[in-house]
Amino acid sequence: MIGTEFDVVVIGGGHAGTEAACAAERIGARVLLVTGNLGALGQMSCNPAIGGVAKGTVVREIDALGGIMARAGDRARIQFRMLNRSKGPAVWAPRVQCDRHRYPEVVRELVEQHSGVRLFQGIVTGLIIRNGRVCGVRTREGVEISARNVVLTTGTFLRGRIHIGTGSGVPGGRAGDPATVELAHQMDDIGVETARFKTGTPPRIDGRSVDLARLQRQDGDEEHLRLSVWTREPLLPQRPCWIAWTTDRTRACVEDALSQSALYGGEIAGRGPRYCPSIEDKVVRFPDAERHQLFLEPEGLYTTEIYLNGLSTSLPLDVQEAVVRSVPGLEQAVITRPGYAIEYDYYPPHQLDATLRLKEMEGLYLAGQINGTTGYEEAAGQGLLAGANAALDALEKEPVVLERDEAFIGVMVDDLVTRGTDEPYRLFTSRAEFRLLLRQDNAHTRLGQIAEKAGLLTERQLESLRVRREQRAETLGWARATSLTPEEAGPALEAADTVQIAEPTRVDRLLRRPKVRIRDLLAASAAAPTLDPDAATEVENDLRYEGYLVRERERAEQVRRREHLPLPASLAYESLQTVSTEARQKLSRIRPRTIGQAARIPGVRPTDIQSLLVELRRRELVGERST
Amino acid sequence: MEGDTIAAIATAQGAGAIAVVRISGPRALPVLGELLAPDASLPAPREARLRSLHDPGSGELIDRALVVTFRASASFTGEDAAELSCHGGRLTPALVLAATLAAGCRHADPGEFTRRAYLNGKLDLLQAEAIGELIDADSPALRRSAVFRMERGLSERIEGLREALIRVDALLSYGIDFPEEDEPPVSNEAILAAVSEAGARIEQLLRTAPEGQRLRRGALVVLAGRPNSGKSSLFNALLGRERAIVTEVPGTTRDALEADTTIEGYPFRLVDTAGLRTATDRVEAMGIEVARRYLGEADLVLFCAEAGRELGEDERRFLQDSPSPVLLVRTKADAARGIETGSKSVRVAIPDGEGLARLRRELRERAFAGSAAEEEVPLLTRERHARALRGSTAALEEFQRALEEGEPPEFASVHLRDAVSGLEELVGRVSPDDVLDEVFGRFCVGK
Repeated sequence: MIGTEFDVVVIGGGHAGTEAACAAERIGARVLLVTGNLGALGQMSCNPAIGGVAKGTVVREIDALGGIMARAGDRARIQFRMLNRSKGPAVWAPRVQCDRHRYPEVVRELVEQHSGVRLFQGIVTGLIIRNGRVCGVRTREGVEISARNVVLTTGTFLRGRIHIGTGSGVPGGRAGDPATVELAHQMDDIGVETARFKTGTPPRIDGRSVDLARLQRQDGDEEHLRLSVWTREPLLPQRPCWIAWTTDRTRACVEDALSQSALYGGEIAGRGPRYCPSIEDKVVRFPDAERHQLFLEPEGLYTTEIYLNGLSTSLPLDVQEAVVRSVPGLEQAVITRPGYAIEYDYYPPHQLDATLRLKEMEGLYLAGQINGTTGYEEAAGQGLLAGANAALDALEKEPVVLERDEAFIGVMVDDLVTRGTDEPYRLFTSRAEFRLLLRQDNAHTRLGQIAEKAGLLTERQLESLRVRREQRAETLGWARATSLTPEEAGPALEAADTVQIAEPTRVDRLLRRPKVRIRDLLAASAAAPTLDPDAATEVENDLRYEGYLVRERERAEQVRRREHLPLPASLAYESLQTVSTEARQKLSRIRPRTIGQAARIPGVRPTDIQSLLVELRRRELVGERST
Repeated sequence: MEGDTIAAIATAQGAGAIAVVRISGPRALPVLGELLAPDASLPAPREARLRSLHDPGSGELIDRALVVTFRASASFTGEDAAELSCHGGRLTPALVLAATLAAGCRHADPGEFTRRAYLNGKLDLLQAEAIGELIDADSPALRRSAVFRMERGLSERIEGLREALIRVDALLSYGIDFPEEDEPPVSNEAILAAVSEAGARIEQLLRTAPEGQRLRRGALVVLAGRPNSGKSSLFNALLGRERAIVTEVPGTTRDALEADTTIEGYPFRLVDTAGLRTATDRVEAMGIEVARRYLGEADLVLFCAEAGRELGEDERRFLQDSPSPVLLVRTKADAARGIETGSKSVRVAIPDGEGLARLRRELRERAFAGSAAEEEVPLLTRERHARALRGSTAALEEFQRALEEGEPPEFASVHLRDAVSGLEELVGRVSPDDVLDEVFGRFCVGK
């Protein structure tokens, strides 16, 4: 037995677990984080990168909610790129390559800055359950820790099995770390539905054995932006990535050895991600593709080791070597760590509510890969939300629920708890109905008040957000009220490669022209307000795309009005004859909170929603009559 | 809580050998049970059985009827249902209905059976509308159009368009969500080509929209001309009955007369108007005013002038200034044999029927030109249809403009989603309540 009761105990120290512990602590909870290996907090088990399309926006949202991933990414990053710059700013996506060894160190440092988080090493083998409620955990060594709420973030460690080539594989949660079985058994006993997923990693190679001169170099952006608005520390130097392509010989190697692949030899039954396919998948599913692109990503500043992004595989080591060496520039490559596939338990997430609490078990929250997602960012976003809600519940405060038009994290959680997922879930911009509103540049504006209300930010952070808010409002007002003369606007227009103006023109009108930058216009006017560079992009987009944004917001409002019609918990779906049989079963199983959630459940048709609306209206009328 | 059970007489009121009373809802079968004799069994689903029907209160025998039951999984409304074919007439069906109400049914609202079928996903909105039109159809052309739509012919086309647009949106999203993949993003040209193909298919449907509305309401054909120019004779001839009074006295027709008829399988509303002249009495003057209003709304004006005489200045001005399309009809051709009157007009002689066949063909070809060319009946019969599709084409044009002007794909895609929701609204995937009310308000009870 350790000390007194904790408000929140977090099991697992990955991207979900560390965010959960930190978020709970910021809210004021007494937190304990227990993990099998304290030396591996915030480990990057797969590729050494953070961010990307939609994911980068999640990282910014985590930052806005006071989380640590953006700051850790900034401080460990050895390359920054803004993806999708050739498209519109609503889908710009920051992505950093990180020093794999530096990243966990920074995470550890950031976690330790949360003085109310106690760290403890141990493998949790059981939940302590009393009166149908989780109230603590027990480790393999018999240590008992009592908790008001428990957050489970065990990633791929539950009944994990690692496969390299055929054979039954070996138990493991990640190369080098053991799997957890006892906890998985207990979850079965509780009656939690379980399913299997698989995922894979590519081999890593020794950079000294690669002929980089024959590869295409990909450098980071010159203008280095940061993931976090709170990062003040100096940044590390940047390193390039390299692009290579597979050949016919690669395909031949893979085809000849398909029967030896764990993924194709029938050893793994679980489903894998469609969008991060193994090389076996690529060869089988795209037989006509001449070649596939590989990204060689540096593992760190002080190592030559390279991560072969795009070559995820579970083929035997000798085949992996032949496959790697079939790539021009990699003929002499030496594998340092073989690629492998891992299959693991996950808990289909329709069993959770919107706060990520298990519906059928008080006191237990689930976050990360255990909910069927893939990706560090998806895990971290859920961890933050689950940790915050576990703390808020323990302290008897209002929970945080993020809506679909507020955050990509909200889109993800809503997708998970209403639709579930039958393949590892990853975020895309196209999952969001209102992606113009969910930009990476406006995350802090979108989520500032939510973070403040939940108590997720420090005084200093709140003050800095207040300043940002004021600057933004002032600049928007200035842009709508100020006209620049042709002389003043001249340089800004020239820089944007657009025609000059003849008459004084308002700043917001000038910004409608593509490529005109607000910082140039601010510089042109003596009366211009000061504006933080990070906020400049946001204000620029708010003004340039105002017409679209106004419409999108209106539409979001419309959806919300219907969306938020609450469905009474007592609604007996089984007896609603006008609802289709399939929908009736799903509705009674999932029990959505609102009409909006009901509408997103697969198998529930628009006509079912019409019937529910009619039923709600009818109840309303009956209610009116009886009161 | 469960939905209630409804009942109504589904056949026309009045004399008839049989009448059908329909019951639908969760208690449909128990209700039927209460009408049967205590020892009688409910027929198995979808099997017709003769049963005697009794008043549930007094037990008095009302009628013997052929009874069919349906389970919710296989019924028109998607609910448990029963149909009782009893004897017709004014009293028996009303007594059977009263018995079902006594057993706990509610009298159905207009269109409620179809509305329930729609809400239960048995029909989409276009099908539901088509059923109403099929019942109301007087012309073979409207009937054909309604049957086609009832069988999801139009729904499938709209859904095909919707899928095509969603595919385009997916192509755009591929470029956005996978900026670093092997396959390069799809080019704007390819995307624009796919969109303009979909746009062309929508335009093609839209072109028949005016004719579709004519198909449902009848094409408005207005007969005009000087007093005593033979309008009323022509009106009667086209109707095939003596509806208008024909005399030699100019100004006999004071008010406008309207009558529905079918010409070559298509529906028409014929209007006979007061002759246009400076009226001498007030009643005639009001009739002329009414005529002018009809002329403004007409799909086609038949301008009548006697054969064999020069057109007057007033007549030539009318032909020039008419806001609606005009066809010149030379009447009383029997009195002016051998005199040529120009190729742009149709000569008719009522007594021997000369020119009437040609005039009928002209009427159909002019009022329903599109369907003649497309070799199919018009499908968009309501303003609602045209409005939804016009919304979609406008959104597609916005999308094309945005992409061509270099607006970022994620912004352009907003217009694409607008276009998709127009199509969804048409089929009733997302139907605002007022659309539903409009659609189902038009049904009479029992359908």
